[in-house]
Amino acid sequence: MEEPTVEPKIAVRGLDLYYGRFHALKNIDLDVRPNTITAIIGPSGCGKSTLLRTFNRMNDLITGVRVDGSVRLDGQDIWTGSLTPVQLRRRVGMVFQRPNPFPLSVFDNVAFGPRAHGQRNRRVLEELVEESLRGARLWDEVRDRLNQPATELSLGAQQRLCVARLLAVRPDVILLDEPCSALDPVSTLAIESLMRELQDRYTIVIVTHNMQQAARASDESVYMLLGEIIEHGPTSQVFTNPKDSRTEQYITGRLG
Amino acid sequence: MTVARREKAIERALLVSALSAVSMLALIAAFILIEGAPVMLRHGISSFLAGTRWAPTKGSFGILPMIVASVVVTLGAMVIAVPLGLSCAVFLAEIAPRRAANFLRPAIQLLAGIPSVVYGFVGILFLVPLIRENLGGPGLSVLAAVVILGVMVLPTLIGIAEDAIEAVPRTYKEGALALGCTHAQAIRRVILPAARGGIIAAVILAMGRAVGETMAVIMVIGNAAIIPCSVLDPARTLTSNIALEMGYAAGDHQKALFATGVVLFAFIMVLNSIATMRIVRGRR
Amino acid sequence: MSKGLGHSTRAVSASWLAAAIVVAMALAGCGGRGGRRALVLAGSTSVQPVAELIAEHYEVEHPHHSVNVQGGGSTAGVRAALEGAADIGMSSRALKPDEVGLEPIVVARDAVVLIVHPSNRTTDLTPEQVRAIYTGRITHWSDVTGPKWSSDDRRDDIITLVTREEGSGTRSAFEEGVMAKADITPRALVQDSTGTVRAIVASDPNAIGYISLGMVSSEVRALTYGGVQATEETVEEGTYALARPFLLLTRGAPSGEAGQFIRFALSDEGQQLVVRAGYLPVRRLDP
Ligand SMILES: Nc1ncnc2c1ncn2[C@@H]1O[C@H](COP(=O)(O)OP(=O)(O)OP(=O)(O)O)[C@@H](O)[C@H]1O
Ligand SMILES: [Mg+2]
Repeated sequence: MEEPTVEPKIAVRGLDLYYGRFHALKNIDLDVRPNTITAIIGPSGCGKSTLLRTFNRMNDLITGVRVDGSVRLDGQDIWTGSLTPVQLRRRVGMVFQRPNPFPLSVFDNVAFGPRAHGQRNRRVLEELVEESLRGARLWDEVRDRLNQPATELSLGAQQRLCVARLLAVRPDVILLDEPCSALDPVSTLAIESLMRELQDRYTIVIVTHNMQQAARASDESVYMLLGEIIEHGPTSQVFTNPKDSRTEQYITGRLG
Repeated sequence: MTVARREKAIERALLVSALSAVSMLALIAAFILIEGAPVMLRHGISSFLAGTRWAPTKGSFGILPMIVASVVVTLGAMVIAVPLGLSCAVFLAEIAPRRAANFLRPAIQLLAGIPSVVYGFVGILFLVPLIRENLGGPGLSVLAAVVILGVMVLPTLIGIAEDAIEAVPRTYKEGALALGCTHAQAIRRVILPAARGGIIAAVILAMGRAVGETMAVIMVIGNAAIIPCSVLDPARTLTSNIALEMGYAAGDHQKALFATGVVLFAFIMVLNSIATMRIVRGRR
Repeated sequence: MSKGLGHSTRAVSASWLAAAIVVAMALAGCGGRGGRRALVLAGSTSVQPVAELIAEHYEVEHPHHSVNVQGGGSTAGVRAALEGAADIGMSSRALKPDEVGLEPIVVARDAVVLIVHPSNRTTDLTPEQVRAIYTGRITHWSDVTGPKWSSDDRRDDIITLVTREEGSGTRSAFEEGVMAKADITPRALVQDSTGTVRAIVASDPNAIGYISLGMVSSEVRALTYGGVQATEETVEEGTYALARPFLLLTRGAPSGEAGQFIRFALSDEGQQLVVRAGYLPVRRLDP
């Protein structure tokens, strides 16, 4: 892997994570470059979600989790630095495997984050909601249904709503954990092209089981196995010319 | 073939027992109505429901004071129980470490197992003198009943509300936290609204419990058949009216107590149907 | 009667189930005890508990006899005895002049006594005062006997009025004896047992209540009524006005099983049971 020419957005060094006595992440080193889409691939249970969830400290919610090593966001350590988990999560947002809009209206879903962070002005909120929905390529679809329950949208639209909800708090980094696994191919493509559009302004990390998706939609790929990073490089290289035979096996197995 | 036939037999047996339970209930309802309705009709439904004088041995059957007292006492108990019970449910479901919750939960449910006489007794021994000496009045009062009932309904309220909160999908909470909400914000803005149906059901069932409670109320409320003007006044609820006088009542007096039961029955039916509707809607 | 009636629909259904079972058992029990007809007592609900207690012991002593005690009220008791629906009628009032043909036997006396907290300075109330208090015309102790304490805070002085529930024998004795058709104020606290009336008066310095003489204890102080203290003597002489006899009534002189029962009620053992039930015996008992 070539030296990054710019400062990494997220820098992971010597990261170990334990669920109780289970060693789930082993000595992880990883640089996530800004304004790129990084895909994390690997077999089930290898620790992809766990790694992703350390970036916004969602693992802290699980009792019995212990971590060693460091994760830095823009050079600042997320544990020992001055960032609180709440501040960190405003900058590092997450979209989950299953769309999880709140049982509120479309508008209230998108306005949720800003409201929680103190924005009361109705006009500001309206602008923010429209901007975020446009950013998530959802505006035209829901502009007349802003007051309907979000749970009545199609799954694909729900997932884009979750992206819009995230955009409304203006994060730097967007983490997506298998965002398309519950979606049909059309919605999947919509999410992928959305990611491409967001890339200019955000750093994106996506966990996926879909090799075509990783190949299509990411700039860099990380292959994990049993809690370790086996290979990390530009997607084209990882997919066409993997350095490690285990990566090759996995990719050919999945593609073949 | 035989399996199918056995299945049929079981189904039929279940149907019969379900029907008999329902018809038992219908019988009771019919019985109370048949016993209570004539006296109500004879003295006029409005003078029964809106009359303020209860002197059954002298032919006056106004139960408005009891209706008012039941409503006031029940709502009052909710004023105490809802904030307390909801905080407790949130604490158990969201905040307490699992081990503490597992210890506290049965402890709270144990409260439900304490016989109501014991609540009444504690009320007489501690609460009533406390009220009399510090706030005035006879001590036996609406306030005493409100406090005792407020505590008595806590297990019902906490149990159902906690279930409702725990039934909220974890993904809601995660979604809120991932947006940079604090835990408290997640609870207030997502979890509680999402659990609202179940929480309302919990409150309504607790109200049903409060409306129906008899023994403890008789012991601490003073049982004066007047419309209370302050929380320090004594009052008499519908249930205490029945239980208090049933012992020696005869003739019209007894029928009037059944009529009181009809009103109480209507109250509880309404509350329970609202709760059931809430629970059903909450599930959807 | 179950206090839980009306507690909830479930409790109601349970109590009706219980009632059905009791009825079924009672029906099944008919014709038991060797086919002998039970001795039937009916009438005053005030006398009923004493009669039941006596009957229990009577049945132990006479294993082949069974006694059935029913309520209905004094008037119904008189009628039942006259019509022969009951072997023995029970009444908690003297017979009226037109109720002839019955042999009244006093087996106990009930005297209602006004009680106050021991710290209360009042010692006597006239019938007029009691009526004024219980109709709610007088609401402060200072209006009865001058300030109760040196304190001149009128709020501390409000009378806590305690009465029994409608239908209670003690209440009807009190109402008939004192109230003269006037209503007890609905503001009065209502309790459904002597014990709770006494407990409230014992714990509230401002309270006044009334209970049967036999139930007076040292936690409360009995007032004299119209200057007369309630004692077994004043009740028997008739000088204490708030008293009533408990009568057993038979058509003609008591004979047969009815006579046996009444003799038992008047025996030392029967009279001891009267005392135990909280009433005054009609025969002086050896200590
Ligand atoms: N809360 C937890 N407690 C204990 N072990 C856990 C917990 N969460 C995950 N694990 C274990 O850690 C390992 C990594 O889990 P993780 O969810 O990160 O895998 P993954 O790569 O995302 O798998 P998948 O592709 O199935 O989502 C797995 O073996 C899993 O069993
Ligand atoms: Mg995963």
